[in-house]
Amino acid sequence: MAKKMKIKAKEKDGVVKVKVMFKSLMADKEEAEKKNIAVEYIAHVLGKVNGKIVYEATTSGFMSEDPLMKFSFTGAKKGDTLEFELTDNHGKKITGSKKIK
Amino acid sequence: MERRKFLNMGLVAVAATLVPATSLKAVNFRETKANAWEAEKSAEAIKAMFGDGKLNPTDKIKMTAPKLAENGGSIPIRLKSDLDIETIAFFQDANPRSSTVVFSVPEGQKVDYSFRIKMRQTAYVTVVAKTKDGKLHTLNKEIDVSIGGCGG
Repeated sequence: MAKKMKIKAKEKDGVVKVKVMFKSLMADKEEAEKKNIAVEYIAHVLGKVNGKIVYEATTSGFMSEDPLMKFSFTGAKKGDTLEFELTDNHGKKITGSKKIK
Repeated sequence: MERRKFLNMGLVAVAATLVPATSLKAVNFRETKANAWEAEKSAEAIKAMFGDGKLNPTDKIKMTAPKLAENGGSIPIRLKSDLDIETIAFFQDANPRSSTVVFSVPEGQKVDYSFRIKMRQTAYVTVVAKTKDGKLHTLNKEIDVSIGGCGG
């Protein structure tokens, strides 16, 4: 259950640079067993601007805890809203959005 | 400083010439390629993910990763390429299962992804990218891990 995400998006010369951090333990089977916690990780990340996909990643529990991802994309301007949709290992969806600065 | 400036200018120029044409498609590789997520070794995972195609070693994809990682729980990796990549996947041999992350690159966008991974021990990491023309490109690197990363 990722609860929160932090998003930073900045546009410069047509390129939008994004830093995004998701809150998740990213515990896979083995790690969850060791720490005696529930298996919990983000399985799929989708980033959209104006309904167009700009970022897509299928992830596993071997990403670090609270995964921080950086990427850049083109085709958006200041004021557009960047939306993220996360799917965790239970299929639960979490969304978050931020205006591009 | 001069060189850095020049490189940056080049990057911006490349990015600016791209026509923004992102298609609306979502592929959850966990559903479509379920086998690949269970494979223990990189070779098997790559086979499950990309099929039997020939892997061509490439220097067109840049991977930035530490040679020696002090904290196996958080190893920063950066992938960068100007190739027309459709799918780019990251595998490692340090954990119980090999597949770590798969990016499907939206049309018209270039690969420039940073993320962090966990590794339990020193091992090889492999990047496999599928370009639009169906060719597979690969590169790998050994990362030394001094402390285990999976909370052990």
